[in-house]
Amino acid sequence: MLAYQLRIAANSLRRTPVLSALLVAGIALGVAVATTFVTTFHVMASDPIPGKSRQLFYVQVDNWTPDRPWDRDRPEEPPDQLSWREVQNLLASDLPARQAASFKANLTVHPESREERPFRALTRVTRPDFFEMFEVPFLYGGPWDAAAEAARSPVVVLGEATNRRLFGGDDSVGRTVRIEDRPFTVLGVVAPWAPRPKFYDVTNGALQDPEELYVPLSLTLEMEIRSAGNTSNWKPWDGEFADFLESESVWLQMWVELPTAQARQEYEDFLAAYVHEQQQVGRLTRPVNNRLRDVREWMTVSEVVPPEAKTMLIIGLLFLLVCSINLIGILLGKFLGRAPEVGVRRALGASRGSVFAQHLVECEVVALLGGAVGLALSTVTLRVLNRLFTEGAERELFTLDLTMLGAGVALALAAGIVAGAYPAWRICRVAPATYLKQQ
Amino acid sequence: MIDMDGVSKIYRTEHVETHALSTFTVSVESGEFVAVMGPSGSGKTTFLNVAGLLDVFDGGSYRLDGEDVSRLSDRAMSRIRNEKIGFIFQSFNLIPDLDVFDNVDVPLRYRGVGARERKSLIEEAVATVGLSSRLKHRPAQLSGGQQQRVAVARAIVGKPKLILADEPTGNLDSAMATEILTLLEEINAAGTTVVMVTHDPELAARAPRQIHMLDGRLMDFSRDVPAPLFDPSRPRLDPVLSV
Repeated sequence: MLAYQLRIAANSLRRTPVLSALLVAGIALGVAVATTFVTTFHVMASDPIPGKSRQLFYVQVDNWTPDRPWDRDRPEEPPDQLSWREVQNLLASDLPARQAASFKANLTVHPESREERPFRALTRVTRPDFFEMFEVPFLYGGPWDAAAEAARSPVVVLGEATNRRLFGGDDSVGRTVRIEDRPFTVLGVVAPWAPRPKFYDVTNGALQDPEELYVPLSLTLEMEIRSAGNTSNWKPWDGEFADFLESESVWLQMWVELPTAQARQEYEDFLAAYVHEQQQVGRLTRPVNNRLRDVREWMTVSEVVPPEAKTMLIIGLLFLLVCSINLIGILLGKFLGRAPEVGVRRALGASRGSVFAQHLVECEVVALLGGAVGLALSTVTLRVLNRLFTEGAERELFTLDLTMLGAGVALALAAGIVAGAYPAWRICRVAPATYLKQQ
Repeated sequence: MIDMDGVSKIYRTEHVETHALSTFTVSVESGEFVAVMGPSGSGKTTFLNVAGLLDVFDGGSYRLDGEDVSRLSDRAMSRIRNEKIGFIFQSFNLIPDLDVFDNVDVPLRYRGVGARERKSLIEEAVATVGLSSRLKHRPAQLSGGQQQRVAVARAIVGKPKLILADEPTGNLDSAMATEILTLLEEINAAGTTVVMVTHDPELAARAPRQIHMLDGRLMDFSRDVPAPLFDPSRPRLDPVLSV
């Protein structure tokens, strides 16, 4: 029966091509706008590490001045990063299953080929647990181990694009690359990996590209690697780089992996005890104000999804609703114009239900055609958004993946129902006898 | 086949109440060929619509093929129309976008008949009305008589027990009208009950039984109508002036 209904729908659309085009355009416009905003929201709000987001926790300790809060707009919040001293002290705990502190830097890479000029590469200075905690995929090799970290070994993991640039995409494990003033041994090459949002470092831009290099955190002091991200402090310092590391400046992100609720509670107790201890030695002077937030909580607090994105999502969906409602009148006129034919079909045995279904199928055919055009249009609008927000980035942030394609189709079908349900109901209520003698 | 007892049908508007059928009682046996006559507004079409379950009635009872149809759901009535009744209309009521094959196909689609069987039934019905060479023609490519023959084919394709024809020759010339009536007689001869509304007394006279309606009621000539008005020995009145 569906095949027959599709045939009737196709005939109907062919019979009134201009009207059909208007209907398709109406749905297409609504789907394009709605899909665009749904996609942007989806990219920003989706769980970047499903299956683990409730086990990874971002650590915050309040080392700020007692005279004022770190954030005047949210005085209850501790600083969004940690100091070097905090990180070194907290890394001494063996409570977490894994833990990784890191920061972003820019290091100079000197390619072997003299034809290639040195370039600055976005670098994640981190610890080996980082890779397993955040499920970083590898193309070749793997990360350094705890021993290499402790030994401050000059080892590096390359991003896939950097490996292509330096070694033509070949397996470069064991090769040497000069970074800053010293040779580094390549231990691994990361497969293309671009979590969206970049949840492990939202303080420095949740929509930024991933890093091109990864080097051990233990090299920070020896190489005087400075942060290229946000750095905040309430107490000026002067002196050498080592003095900076001893200051209360906050510039590092720290994540711990706590697989169970008990592990979380134990770590929270550890944090509280640590702060008490620091208070007693006169270092931390604010009341205990620790935070241990999982990935989703941290993204919410950090407003990775800006309120504007939510507003635009609602507006986009409302726009689609308005487009659909506007089509009700057109469909009503189109369907009621066919009342004589419906009267004949009813006389020949079509029930109200089958007439309703037939007309709803026609609406859904229009909706699917409109949805296809709308999805094509949304690729254009998303390209514009990418140009506005991520110009220069290696890959586009806002794209239609399979989920969003499915969402677009679902939105189109829903729009078809909103637009067509009432007209289909009206035409199926037509008394067949009224029209049979009028033709 | 048709057993109506005291059936009434009232059309109501804001100011007017029209009794299209008023305590209408009639029986039509299986296999009969009945012509229904009456002046305009006498309720002939309303009777046909009620008989064909195209319209509901407000009072009385109606048994169709032995089944009480007073309180059936729309789905049940649609099923009965599809399986037991074939309709033929004055204005043919073919679907203009569909060719002859697809027009005749419509009732079979709603019955859920498989493709192979549908093809066989359609070809048989179209052959019965003598239009096998016109299967791919659209209604606009057919004459009035041919269109009505397609409508007849559509009405009989599902092998219904009852054919309801509302002025089937009203838009045809006399030659084509005779052709259609001959078809109906052949269908009736095969066992199908035929109820035909007509204004034409000559066509009505070919039906073995005639019933007359006036003001929504079945006429009882012995009581309600002066005999001379229906004296067959009188010269035939001009059809325009005949009651």
